[in-house]
Amino acid sequence: MNIPPLAAGSAEPAPAHPLPFLPLPTAGAQGVGALTRAVPAPIKFVLNWGRRYSLWVFNFGLACCAIEFIATSMSRHDFIRLGVIPFAPGPRQADLMVVSGTVTDKMAPAVRRLYEQMPEPKYVISFGACSNCGGPYWDSYCVTKGVDQIVPVDVYVPGCPPRPEALLHGILTLQQKIARESLGDRYAAAGPRPIRSVPAAALQRPLLRADPVGEEPDDG
Amino acid sequence: MTKVPGKGLVEGLGVTLKALTRRSVTQQYPDVEPELPPRSRGVIALLEENCTVCMLCARECPDWCIYIDSHKETLPAPEGGRARVRNVLDRFAIDFSLCMYCGICIEVCPFDALFWTPEFAYAEGDIGDLTHERDRLREWMWTVPEPPALDPGAEPAKEVTAAQKAQQPPPVQQARQAPARPARPSRSAGVAADRPEVDPPAGDSS
Repeated sequence: MNIPPLAAGSAEPAPAHPLPFLPLPTAGAQGVGALTRAVPAPIKFVLNWGRRYSLWVFNFGLACCAIEFIATSMSRHDFIRLGVIPFAPGPRQADLMVVSGTVTDKMAPAVRRLYEQMPEPKYVISFGACSNCGGPYWDSYCVTKGVDQIVPVDVYVPGCPPRPEALLHGILTLQQKIARESLGDRYAAAGPRPIRSVPAAALQRPLLRADPVGEEPDDG
Repeated sequence: MTKVPGKGLVEGLGVTLKALTRRSVTQQYPDVEPELPPRSRGVIALLEENCTVCMLCARECPDWCIYIDSHKETLPAPEGGRARVRNVLDRFAIDFSLCMYCGICIEVCPFDALFWTPEFAYAEGDIGDLTHERDRLREWMWTVPEPPALDPGAEPAKEVTAAQKAQQPPPVQQARQAPARPARPSRSAGVAADRPEVDPPAGDSS
C-alpha cells in the first residue's frame, strides 16, 4: 500500500536519483542541525522554548476531522493560548501541519508536496483515525493507510473524530517533544526518518501530468 | 452616500467594546479539565475479570481493531464429574489508532466486560503505543463513570427487584402474588385459556 514515489523511480532511467530511500533533510536542514549542535545547552533551551510556543499551524483538512480542528482554533478552545497560530498563509510560512482527515491515494502527492514546501524544522500531527492508519477505510482500495506512509509524523491523536481537547493534548505532547529535542539529533546524517526523498524537479512539475512510473509499477 | 472618515475604525472599536463587556467562553483546557457530557466516547476500558473470550467484540468490530489471544485450560473435576474446559485470556488489545469509536464491541459484550470512558488525552508520539494492551485497558476501568441515576419514579433495575424478591420471606411473596391473579383473566381470551393450566403449579411451588 505504499504510495509510488514522487521521484522518478527505478522503472524509468533516473541517473540523478538512483536511491529510492534517502535521508529526508536537505542541505539547509543539516546546516540547522549543525548550528544547534554547536550552541550551549541554555541557548538550546531558549531556542526550543521559542520554537514550541510559536507554532504556525497549517491545517490539512481532508474530511470531517477538519471541523474539529476548526472548533479547536475558535474561541471556545482557542489554541492560540498555547502558542499555536492558526491559518498560516501557506505551507511556506508554517511550522506545524495538522493532517486531519482521510488521506486518499489521489490526495497523497499533494500532502507530500505541501509538506516538502514547509521550512525546517517542521512538525506533523496526525489527527484522527483516518490519518493515523486509515481508520474505517482500513481496507479501501483508494485510501492511504496512514499519513505516516508519506510524511514523518510526530504526534498521533486518536479519535474518530477526536475531541478538540484531544487536539490540545496532542499539541501539548508535541510541545513537550520539541522541548526535549535537539535539532542536531533530529536531522542526524543517518536519518532516522525513513521517508523517500524527493528531488526538486518532481516537486515543481505540474500536478495533473500523468506519471508513467506511478501508475502501474507491476506492468513495467 | 458620502464616505465618513473613520467610520470603519469606530465600528471596529465598537465591536471590541461589546466583546469586552461579555464573559469569555474560552475553556482553559490544560489547567481546567473539561466537563464532558455523560456517556462521552473517549476510550474503551476492559474489565478482564468479566471477559470469557467469547470473541464477539472482535468479530463484530467493523475495523477489526480488537486483538484477542486465548488458550483453553482443563479444570479437573473435584469428585466424580467430568473435567471442565474454560478459556483463559492471553492477550486483549485494542488498536486505538484504528478504532472508530462506534461502541459496537461494548453493545455486543454479553458479560459487560467493556465500558466507555470519557478520557481523551492519550495522544502518542509512536503509533505503536496507541495499541493498548490488557493492563492499560484495565487501568482505564478506574476512570469509568458511574451509570447515570434513574429518572424519578422509574422502576428499579430487574436485577435489583429479583434480589429483593429473593431476600423476602415466602409468605410475603404469596401475599403479593395473590392479588396479581385476578388481573390475568382480563387479558385476551387465548392467553387466559392457556394460563390456568400453567399457573397453579407455579403458585404451589412458591
